[in-house]
Amino acid sequence: MPDLSPLYALIALLLPFDCMQARFMQQAMAGLLLLAPMAAAMGIMVVNFRMAFFSDAISHSAFAGVALGLIFSLDPNWTMPVFGLLVGLGITILQRHSSLSNDTVIGVFFSAMVAFGLAIVSRDRSLARDLQRFLYGDILTISDPQILCLLALFLVFMTFQVVSYNHLLYIGLNPSLARAHRVRVAAQQYIFAGLLSLIVMFAVQAVGVLLVTAMLIVPAATARNVARSAGSMFWWAMLASITSAVLGLIVSAQDWARTATGATIILVACGWFLVSLAIPVLRRERAS
Amino acid sequence: MAATDPFPRQPTVVAAVRFESISVTRDGVSILDGVSATVPKGSCTAIIGPNGAGKTTLLLALLNEITYQGRIHVTGNSGRARIGYVPQRLAFDRGMPLTVNEFLAMGFQKKPLWFGVRGDLQRQGLDFLTLVKAEHLAGRRIGALSGGEMQRVLLALALMQEPDLLVLDEPSAGVDFQGEHIFCELLDDLRRQKGFTQLMVSHDLPTVTHHATHVICLNRKVAAEGPPRQTLTDANLTAIFGMHMGLVNSRSMPEDKTNCSAPCCQGPADA
Repeated sequence: MPDLSPLYALIALLLPFDCMQARFMQQAMAGLLLLAPMAAAMGIMVVNFRMAFFSDAISHSAFAGVALGLIFSLDPNWTMPVFGLLVGLGITILQRHSSLSNDTVIGVFFSAMVAFGLAIVSRDRSLARDLQRFLYGDILTISDPQILCLLALFLVFMTFQVVSYNHLLYIGLNPSLARAHRVRVAAQQYIFAGLLSLIVMFAVQAVGVLLVTAMLIVPAATARNVARSAGSMFWWAMLASITSAVLGLIVSAQDWARTATGATIILVACGWFLVSLAIPVLRRERAS
Repeated sequence: MAATDPFPRQPTVVAAVRFESISVTRDGVSILDGVSATVPKGSCTAIIGPNGAGKTTLLLALLNEITYQGRIHVTGNSGRARIGYVPQRLAFDRGMPLTVNEFLAMGFQKKPLWFGVRGDLQRQGLDFLTLVKAEHLAGRRIGALSGGEMQRVLLALALMQEPDLLVLDEPSAGVDFQGEHIFCELLDDLRRQKGFTQLMVSHDLPTVTHHATHVICLNRKVAAEGPPRQTLTDANLTAIFGMHMGLVNSRSMPEDKTNCSAPCCQGPADA
């Protein structure tokens, strides 16, 4: 396995805070620096595709994925993303081939996943303790293999973004128009759903099931308030997401704060959102 | 019901699109029943009919958006036909910060938009916006456009495909009378300039009588097909709409121009 020590040393050098000298904090920062840009870019699409409920359904399937792993003595860190991927693709297949509305399809999956997870957990009370860390998230326990997986996902995701960002915007705007103008809508939708499922599952480990959708949506919503074009929206979302992750992690480790990392990251992101609300108002005032 | 195809098609007409026995059934209900029709190359063909006649369904079949029985032949000027599509309305999130420039470029540019719109595509987009008299909209957000402005931008986008066939679904929907008239005049000019075939769905008979060169009267089946003055007869219109329309007087139609009760025909300019 590649040695990630130089990366951690660089993080400690660039962020010379006391809290950042601990290895687990450097690992958490590395994980967040990979996850935050993916969440930001995906968040833009989630907002454009109106898929917040989709990411909620995937995140709630985390319980079932973890529980299945524990029952069959498999590593939950693998069963969870694989299960999430299957659920994401399942929802997409049903959405494309059913006359039911998207919300209804996702609602059925959402309910089934939560019920399935709870049913399995209820058989063995000891499982509930393991599942709690997925409810609130725990980026501080991220391991080197997980960071390497995240790095691989990051490379695949960014390649997909470079190749498909424009076409995904097109599809988000109007799939029929995109199809008529020779965009391969079905293929892009499946790849998008698969990657979104995987990113959601990694984000669950960072901020927990309850807050994972916020990690996607809030930076994108902030960017929307500030951006004047689709191109600049991407960079604003990146800025909001990465700064929220970095500040959230550092603040949560301070003695005066000592708060859950995931919740702190989302609170910082919401702070940026509040600031962004003022920008359109200021622009209007300057214009008048 | 009027007899099908009362005016026999001329065998010499070159078809841009040929619908052969198109049938569509949804939830056990027949939407289209054995529709066979031809869209002559270079024509402005209008599909007319009452609500629920299957007009938009026929377009969706042409665009491969729905499953259907039968065959549709589309002939391009060189090989596979390019289709430009202008939807009736674009349902999208109006808060999305997407500029008209980006909107026109995103289907053509491989480089992601976060690196900006390529210079040549910006110029090309502006050229097409100028063509549809909407060059002033280039920097505007698409969410801030009015219905008529959005129609022009969608038309510019469709024209950028360099289409052999331009498909329009209710081009006058959501546009005021003046805007609709200008839009149709613009389309006529562009069709003559660019040489594409235009196929539009409309239930706006004044628009059809003014601008169409070929009409397909549809009510689940083809009720009549041919030039406007042969198809837009009182008998045909009464048959497909189920009531006397009172808009078109086919007997007073001159060779290539119709006479109707629409406001534009009442003023001295068009008298």
